[in-house]
Amino acid sequence: MKTIAYCSPFVPPEWIAAHGLRPQWLRRSAATGRMATAVGRGICPYAGALIDAALAGLGAAALVLATTCDQMRYAAAVVEIRAWHGRRAGDVDAHGQEPAATKDRCPVFLLNVPSMWQTAAVRELYHSELRRLGRFLTGLGGSAPEDAELAGLMLDYDRARGNVYEAAAHLSGRQFAEALAELRGAPFDVLNSRGLTAPGKTVRNTAAVPLAIVGGPLLEPDYELFDLAEHSGGRVVLDATEGGERTMPRRFDPARVAADPVAELADAYFDGITDVFRRPNTGFYEWLGRQLSTRSVRGIIFRRFAWCDLWHAELQRLRQWTRLPVLDIDAGPDDTAAARRTEGRIEAFLEMLA
Amino acid sequence: MSDTPRRITLAEWDARYAELRAAGLTEPDYGGPLRRHVAEGDVRLLKLRMDNSAASLRLWNFLLSEEDRLRGAVAAGKQLVGTMKDLGTVPVMVYSFRDLVAFYPDGAWWLPCLLEGGGELMAIADSLGIDDSYCPVRAMLGAFVNKKRFPIPGLLTCSVGATCDDFSAIAQRVESLGFPVFWWEIPHRRPPEPGEPAVELPGGFHAPAEQVAFVKSELARVLAALETYAGERLSQEQLATGIARTNQARMALGALRQIAYTAEPCPMPALEMLVVEMLAIHFCSDHNETLQVLAELLEEVRRRVRARVGVLEADAVRVFWVNPVADLRAMNLLEDTGGRICGSDYLFCHALDHIPTDLPPLEALARMALADPMAGSPAERARRIGADVRRFGAEAVVISRIPGASHCAMEGTVIADVLRTETPVPVVQIEVPPVTDSVEPTLRTRIEALVESVREARGRSSLGKEVG
Repeated sequence: MKTIAYCSPFVPPEWIAAHGLRPQWLRRSAATGRMATAVGRGICPYAGALIDAALAGLGAAALVLATTCDQMRYAAAVVEIRAWHGRRAGDVDAHGQEPAATKDRCPVFLLNVPSMWQTAAVRELYHSELRRLGRFLTGLGGSAPEDAELAGLMLDYDRARGNVYEAAAHLSGRQFAEALAELRGAPFDVLNSRGLTAPGKTVRNTAAVPLAIVGGPLLEPDYELFDLAEHSGGRVVLDATEGGERTMPRRFDPARVAADPVAELADAYFDGITDVFRRPNTGFYEWLGRQLSTRSVRGIIFRRFAWCDLWHAELQRLRQWTRLPVLDIDAGPDDTAAARRTEGRIEAFLEMLA
Repeated sequence: MSDTPRRITLAEWDARYAELRAAGLTEPDYGGPLRRHVAEGDVRLLKLRMDNSAASLRLWNFLLSEEDRLRGAVAAGKQLVGTMKDLGTVPVMVYSFRDLVAFYPDGAWWLPCLLEGGGELMAIADSLGIDDSYCPVRAMLGAFVNKKRFPIPGLLTCSVGATCDDFSAIAQRVESLGFPVFWWEIPHRRPPEPGEPAVELPGGFHAPAEQVAFVKSELARVLAALETYAGERLSQEQLATGIARTNQARMALGALRQIAYTAEPCPMPALEMLVVEMLAIHFCSDHNETLQVLAELLEEVRRRVRARVGVLEADAVRVFWVNPVADLRAMNLLEDTGGRICGSDYLFCHALDHIPTDLPPLEALARMALADPMAGSPAERARRIGADVRRFGAEAVVISRIPGASHCAMEGTVIADVLRTETPVPVVQIEVPPVTDSVEPTLRTRIEALVESVREARGRSSLGKEVG
C-alpha cells in the first residue's frame, strides 16, 4: 500500500485511507541538512525540518502540504524546485549523506485551505480542494471511494478518537498527545497497542498544576515538553498545539455521514479546527476560553517557532486576553543549550504556580 | 540654469529649487522645497541622492505629502478606504466611486526608513508584541494606534489567504485593537489540472477558471461593502471607466519603464523609478494627480533620450532588481557602484499589466488579482522574472530580501535556484534593513563584487570576439 505523508490537520486521514492509501502524519526531528543553517536567516525551523526530510526522501508516494502559513506554501515550492532541478551542493540528510536521487523524490500536493471561514464560498473552496486531493490520490494509484466505504472509515476514526478522548483523564499529557498523533495515521486501537488500557497504567497525577500547551506544530523532540512539565509538578491537561486536540475534527454526525459522507467530512474539518491563521481568528479564542475554563487550567505554555509570525503575533494578545500566566518558549535552531534553558524556565514557571 | 541630468543631494536641491522657481516653475498645491519634509521628520532625505528634474521634484512632493493630502480629502468630504494587503485591485474599484479615496496603510513600511528608525511607531508596535522580527510594515500598527500619521479610514479592507504572514498577523492585531476589517480571500493560485477549464491572466500566468470565479465572488462582496460605505450603487459602466483610467496610468508607467530601463545612458535614476512604480498600487491616494506626475516624468525622460543625456555612465552594469528595498538609499548604492536598474519586480508587477477591457469588469479585476506573483508559486514568479531578465537584457540579478518578511528567505532561494538554471546571469541575494548605514560597507562590497564580475565577463567576451 502506498503511503501519503502529510503534516496539516486540515488534511483528513479518512480521505486518504478511503482511497486505499496509507496516511502518514509526519513527526520530524529538527533540520539537519541544508535548511539547518537557513533557519538563522528567517526560515521557520519546522518548515526547514520538513524540507530537509522531503529532500532526503520520505519513503512516501506523495507529500501533502497546506497553505495555512506562507512558510509552508513556500516550502512546497522549495521541495518541488529542488526535486525538479536535482540536488544542490550542500543538501545532506541527517547522517550527512547526499539525498536520494531526484527520481525517488515524491510529488507535492498543496491543499488550499482558506483563511476565512464565514462565507459559503470559502467553505465550497475547501470542499473543492478535497475533491481535487481525491483526484490527485487517484492519479497515484488510489481508488475513488464509494460513499459507504468512506462512511465506514469515518466512523472507525471517530470511534478511535472518541476512545482516546474518554481515556484522557487516565493518560499523561504526552501519552494523550502521542495517541492522538498516531490516530492521524490509521484508525486502530491505539490505547491497547500502547498498553494504556489496564487500570494500573493510570499515570496522571491529579494533584499537579493543570497546564495548557498552546501553539503551532511540534517537532519530535518537543514532546519532551510534556514530560518536563510533569517532572516539574505540572500536568498538561490541554494540548492546543497543531498536532493536538485543538486541530481534531469535530465529532461526526452519524446521520450526515450516512447521507453525504464527503460533505460531513469536509464540514467537520473546516468548522471543527480553530487556528490563529483564520481571519478573523476569534474562533480560536472562543474555543480556547471554553477549554481553559472547563479544565481549570492555571498556566499556559506558549510554544512557537522563531520566524512564525502568525503565532508570535498572538503571544501578547493572549497575555492581554487571559488572566493566566503565560510562559513563552520560542524555539530556534535545535541545540542542547536551548533545551536546558527551556527545562529551567518550565521549572521556574511551575514553582511560581505551585 | 543647467538642465544636465544629475543625482543631487538635498543640500544641492535647495539651490536647485531656487533656480527652478526663478526660471518660472509652477507647482501643484502640494509643491514646495524638499527641505520642508526633513523638518517634518523625513530625515532620510538627507542621505539620498535624487534626480534634479522638476518632474522628479513633483514626484517626491507627491509621495511625501500623502498624509496631508489625505487630511485635505477628508476635510473636503471624501471618504477614505484603507486597502490593506492590496497591490492594486480594490483601489481600482474605490476610484470608480465619486467620493471615495483609496489609501494604502501598508505604505507605512517606508516610515522606518524615512524617519531613520521609526521612533514612537516602532515602540508602539514593540509594546503590542510586534517586534523587529517582523517586516518594517509593523510601523503601520503604531500609526493606527497613535493616529498621528494618517487619518483612520472609515472602511478597512484586507486580503488574506495567499498573502504574507507578517501582514496578515499585523492586520489581525489591528482589528483586535478595535479597527474593524473587511477581509476578503485570495486563494493560492495553482496550475490548472489537465483538461480543467483555465484562463490566461494578465502577465501570462494561467489559473483554473473556478479560482477566477471564486475571486470574482470575493470582489463582488468587496464591491457591495464599498457601495454601502459610499451610499452609492456603482454601475458596470462606472467600474469599466475606472478600469480604463487605471489602464491609462499603467500605460504611462509602462512607457516610462521601457525608456528608463533600456535607454543609454540611463535617463532616470533607480530611486525615482522605484517610487514611481509604487504609484501603481493605489495612485498615492490621488488618481488624477498620478496621471499628471507620470506625464511629466515621461516627458522628461523622452527629452533626455532625445538629447542623449542621462544620470549615469553609458556602460553602467545592467541589473534586474527583485523586491522593493526597505531603505531607499540602497538604490543610490547600486548606482554609486557602477550599476543601473534595467528591470524590476517590486512584488506587484501585476499592477503594471493592462487590465482586460473586453471582459465584464469584475471578471477582469479578478483575473488581475489572481495574477499577483505573490499569490502563486515562487517558481512561477521566478520564471516571469527570468523572462523579463532576458527581455531587458539584464547582466545580473539582485534579490533584495526584506528583513523579517516571512516569505523572503524561502522565496529568494526558489527564485535564485530557478534563475541560475534558466538564465546565464549571476544572481546575488542581499538583505536591506530600513536604515542601511551600519551595514553599508558590506552591502557595497557585495554589489561591487557583482558589478565587477559582470565587467570582467564583458571583458572576456569582447576579448573572445577580438580573438575570434
